Amino acid sequence: MALPQKKLKSTTGFYRNYIQGFYQRAHRAKAEKRPVAWVASTFPVETLQAMDIVPVWPENYASVCAARQISVELCERAEREGFSRDLCSYSRCVLGSMFGYEKELPEGGLPPPDFLVATTCACDTHLKWFQVASRVYKAPLFLLDVPYNTRGGDSTHLDKEHIEFYASQLGELFAFLETQTGRKFDMDKLRETLAVSDWTSRLWTEIQSYRRTVPCPMDARDAFSAVFFMLCIPGSQQAVDFYTQLRDEVRERAKSGVGVVEDERFRLVWDNLPLWYNLKIFEYLNSLGAVVVTEVFSHTWTGSLDPSKPLESLARKYLPNMANSSTRRRIDIILNLVKDFHVNGVVLPLNWGCRMMSIGETIVRDAVYKKLGVQSLIIDVDSSDWRIAREAQVKERFATFLETLKR
Amino acid sequence: MGWTCTYTPEEVIYAAGALPVMVWGGLGDTKLADAYMPGNSCSFARSSFNAALRGDYNYLDAFVETNSCDNRGKTYDMWVNYSKVPHTYFINTPHSNTEKAHEFFYREVVKFKKWLENTFKQPISDSSLKEAVEVYNENRALLRKIYDLKMKKPPLLSGTEFLEICLSSLVMPKKEHNELLTKLLNEIERRSDVPKQGVRLLVAGSVMDNSELSKLIESVGGNIVADDWCTGSRYFWNLVTSDGESLRAIARRYLDKVPSSFMFQREERFRHVAELAKQFKVEAAIMFVIKYCDTHMFDAPLLRDELKAMGLPVLYLEWEHSMSGFAGLKTRIEAFIEMVGGVK
Repeated sequence: MALPQKKLKSTTGFYRNYIQGFYQRAHRAKAEKRPVAWVASTFPVETLQAMDIVPVWPENYASVCAARQISVELCERAEREGFSRDLCSYSRCVLGSMFGYEKELPEGGLPPPDFLVATTCACDTHLKWFQVASRVYKAPLFLLDVPYNTRGGDSTHLDKEHIEFYASQLGELFAFLETQTGRKFDMDKLRETLAVSDWTSRLWTEIQSYRRTVPCPMDARDAFSAVFFMLCIPGSQQAVDFYTQLRDEVRERAKSGVGVVEDERFRLVWDNLPLWYNLKIFEYLNSLGAVVVTEVFSHTWTGSLDPSKPLESLARKYLPNMANSSTRRRIDIILNLVKDFHVNGVVLPLNWGCRMMSIGETIVRDAVYKKLGVQSLIIDVDSSDWRIAREAQVKERFATFLETLKR
Repeated sequence: MGWTCTYTPEEVIYAAGALPVMVWGGLGDTKLADAYMPGNSCSFARSSFNAALRGDYNYLDAFVETNSCDNRGKTYDMWVNYSKVPHTYFINTPHSNTEKAHEFFYREVVKFKKWLENTFKQPISDSSLKEAVEVYNENRALLRKIYDLKMKKPPLLSGTEFLEICLSSLVMPKKEHNELLTKLLNEIERRSDVPKQGVRLLVAGSVMDNSELSKLIESVGGNIVADDWCTGSRYFWNLVTSDGESLRAIARRYLDKVPSSFMFQREERFRHVAELAKQFKVEAAIMFVIKYCDTHMFDAPLLRDELKAMGLPVLYLEWEHSMSGFAGLKTRIEAFIEMVGGVK
């Protein structure tokens, strides 16, 4: 019988301690007329941090709204404006919050942007969603047009032309940021930010490495909270400080053999996003003796940055993001995780409004089984719209899957 | 050689001596593809892939996909992994038309040309590229001439007739098609069996690879006189115009043409639609958003508002390529046409 999860100290109260402060700072900046930018997922945010521009992540805000159980109401608000129910639930959620919501929004809503920066790197959705926001707020939008990583290579196996096209647009980005803020772009400041971001990335990677230990010392719920810094403000001292503290705690646990559950029977990889509105699902898995020991998501946002080659480094960090890559990249990542983390099952949750996180999972499932004999569960869910799948149904699928793994 | 997106530089394929054919789906269920592609994937992509699994495209020597939307990028992996087409290729299409994007796309087209030459052991000469441009431009100009005959009241040809003419261009040898179009143009201008006027409609959307919905519209008293489909006006609206190196001119045309919704220049498409609405004196608009096309789903509410601001009644419809909700669509279209027709 698996015992209840032992909580990590570092991530306890993560929302209250870090996320709330993040949004308060953004609102304060807005009130003080300092520049606030909306940033799309996989945008090289280090460039904004280097110019002291306050980045706001609508995507993160959507996950906050889901965790606070109001994402579906906000989605419905957007749907009433004519935005299809089949669109990305993150985008519907944020659009809904923009069109006027009768109740109080978490953290006072998102501060309106002075300008927006988007990229096609994660998906078309971000471009289109930000175009809508740009029109609503009458704020300019910059697009970083990113080629698709067709061959699915990692940061050391990218097409030369792709890196050049990416890096060449960063010059235009700096000019745009200068125009928007009236500040001068400083390459040395960018180099400093990249050094910090690189350190953040190393710490995060080190934290992940301890999760290879049996029993696993850190659960997915902690990882999906803590990855916030890696995702949203990697080039900040706060990120370094937090990850140092977390690293020490996880390392200590791994050393002394403290696991998420005492009787660890199933070690799982989790692809794509969690159900933000139901992070308790991980505890349900724990209760069945299963631990998500690693997530593809936790290995998507890292990347080494060389301050002596700032533009090329940024291209190499972001271009091979799995959302921007052929399925081969996702397969390579998952195969490595299965091997390195002693995994015996793979969870491939689809995301209803997201094509990038849905098409291709059958190829992943087949490849992982063929190469390593490990089974996968493809499950129809959505990260923020709980109308897509009933909880009882989801739980039953997991329970059945774990039964299959026993055989 | 099969292609799926109108951002594929067809001229280069033609110059290689190959026949470019647009890959379509069928109207039935997609049981074969459903085993591989989830229910929330683009129903056009799923349907085309289903056709490939069924063997409809076993005659293809090669399949070329472009990076024009998330669905395409990922569906390409499906073709590579599960279809029987011997050669596959992926062209990286930028989503903007800045000078840097043009330079990148030009290099992509050069790579594509080299790949064609190597794969089919067939050198592509400058003169064959020039000839391809001429033939394609002639086709575009002829289609435009015929299209413009719908401006007349009543239009000289029906929406369905035009759509089928345009669709035939997507799968036929262009030279032959040009000859047919030239003859047809003469005939249409002299035709006595002019179609019924009907309610003059503009339609907007992405791909329309069959005429079922158009026929449905006509059966209830409407007539499509103008369209914003990638398999309609956006296919032939722009010519290859710039002088100089053929490949550069060809590449330029694609990024600068009336944009699809995945491109950054959204306002240009909206202007094109507004312009069509005025020139073709439309009385109402129907937006056909194919499930699950993200880029059109985001644009649709904005375009709907713009058209309404022009005083046009607008009907927004989402449709499955398999036509699984055909009866429901019929009811809504019928009610809409009746409503608009009654206002007259």
